[in-house]
Amino acid sequence: MAMRQIPGNKIAEETKDFHKMTLVDFSATWCGPCKMLHPVLESLSGELGDRINFLTVDIDQNPSEANQFGVRGVPTMIIFYAGKEIERMVGFRDKSSLKKDLEALAVRTLG
Amino acid sequence: MDFHVNVVQGGEGQNESEYRLVIAGGGPAALSAAIYAARYGISHVVLESWKPGGQAALTAEIENYPGFSRVSGADLTDAMKKQALEAGAVFRMETVETASEKNGRILVKTDSGEYYSDFLIIATGAAPATLGVPGEEEYYGRGVSFCATCDAPFFKNKRVIVVGGGDSAVKEALHLTQVVAELGLVHRRDQLRAEPYLAEKLISNKKVTTYWNSRLLEITGDGQGVTGAVIDTPEGQKNLETDGIFLYVGTKPASEPFETLVELDSQGAVVTRGIVGTSNPAVFAAGDVTNNGFRQVVTAVSDGARASAAVFDLIQHSER
Repeated sequence: MAMRQIPGNKIAEETKDFHKMTLVDFSATWCGPCKMLHPVLESLSGELGDRINFLTVDIDQNPSEANQFGVRGVPTMIIFYAGKEIERMVGFRDKSSLKKDLEALAVRTLG
Repeated sequence: MDFHVNVVQGGEGQNESEYRLVIAGGGPAALSAAIYAARYGISHVVLESWKPGGQAALTAEIENYPGFSRVSGADLTDAMKKQALEAGAVFRMETVETASEKNGRILVKTDSGEYYSDFLIIATGAAPATLGVPGEEEYYGRGVSFCATCDAPFFKNKRVIVVGGGDSAVKEALHLTQVVAELGLVHRRDQLRAEPYLAEKLISNKKVTTYWNSRLLEITGDGQGVTGAVIDTPEGQKNLETDGIFLYVGTKPASEPFETLVELDSQGAVVTRGIVGTSNPAVFAAGDVTNNGFRQVVTAVSDGARASAAVFDLIQHSER
C-alpha cells in the first residue's frame, strides 16, 4: 500500500484505526532529510502496509496542526494507534533501523 | 605500502552481486569516487545507504567549494550524483551492516543483500555527535536540533542557542540569524575555530550574544518543548531562557560496519596511510569517516578521486 498525503484536518479521522497502526510523517518541501526519508517510507509502506498505514502531512500547508501536535523539527514521524500517539521519531532514519523499530512496535501494539 | 592483493579477474559476466569495487556511502567522497570509478571503467556499485548527499546535503550554504561562490549543500550533492549517473555509476539504496574478508575477497552485507568485491572504498561519512546532557534526548525534535537548515523556520522571531565553535556551528548559526530574534553562542574556548571570515560575520551580528569558555550543562523544558538552558561560564552557572538549542559539537565517524576490516582510532575514525590507504591493502577510505582531520567537501571529493585512482592502479598492476 502506498503512502498518502493528507490534509492536516484529516489526521484525527485517519488515525482512529485499531486494526492497524498509523504513521504520520510531518514533512516540508525545503527539508533535505525529509526528501531522504520519503523513499524509505514509500518502500516500508510496501513491506509493512498490512500492519501500518503510512501518511504524510506538509507542515507549510498545515501549520496549525503541526503546532497542535508539538512538531518543532522535520521530519517528525508520529505513530498512532486507535487515535492515540504511541511513539514519536525525529530526523532521518535509515530503512533497516526504522523497519526494526516499527516491527517491534507493531508486535507490542498489535500482538 | 604492500599492495599484494588477491585480485579475481573479470568484471564482465559476473554475478550481479560481484564487483571489482564496492563504494560504501552517499556523500561527496562517495560520489567523487563513483565518478572516477565509472570513468575508469571499474566494475562497481555504490551502496548509498538511503542517505543520498550525506551530511553535506544538510548544509544550507557552502561558500568555499571552488567554482561556486554560494551553493546549497543539497544542490551541490544533487549535481554530483547527476554527474556520476551520467558517467555510468551504479547506485543502490542499501545500508551496509557488516564488511569482512572471505576467501580472499571482501564480503559486504547490507540490509537487503550481499556483495563480493576485490576492493572497498569506505566513504560513509560521520553523524553529529551528542553531548549526553540532561534534556538532550528528551527534547530532541521538541526544540533540540542538529540541523538548522531543517528546523530554522520553527524558530522565526524566537530565541535560540547554538553550541559549538567550528565551521558547522558558525555556518548554521549564520543561517539561523536570518530568522531568529536572538541567538546565544556557547563555546568551550575563547575564540571560534571556524574560518575567520565566517566567525567575524557571526560575532558582529547584533542578534548574537557570545558565551566564551562555557559549557552546556542541561536543557530544560516544560514537557512539551525546550524553555531554557543551564550553562557553566567563567562567572558561574547561568540559566538562559530559550526556545531552541542547536548542537554542533563534532561528529562521530560512521565506521561501525568496518571495525573488523580496518584499523580505527580511539574516536572510531578509519586510520589512513598515504592519504586514502588503510590497514587493509584492498580497502581505501575517503572523507569524514577518516582521521584526516580537515572535514570539508573539497577534501572529501579529493579523497574519493584518489581512492578510485588507487584501485585503478592496483587493477592495472595485477593485469600486467
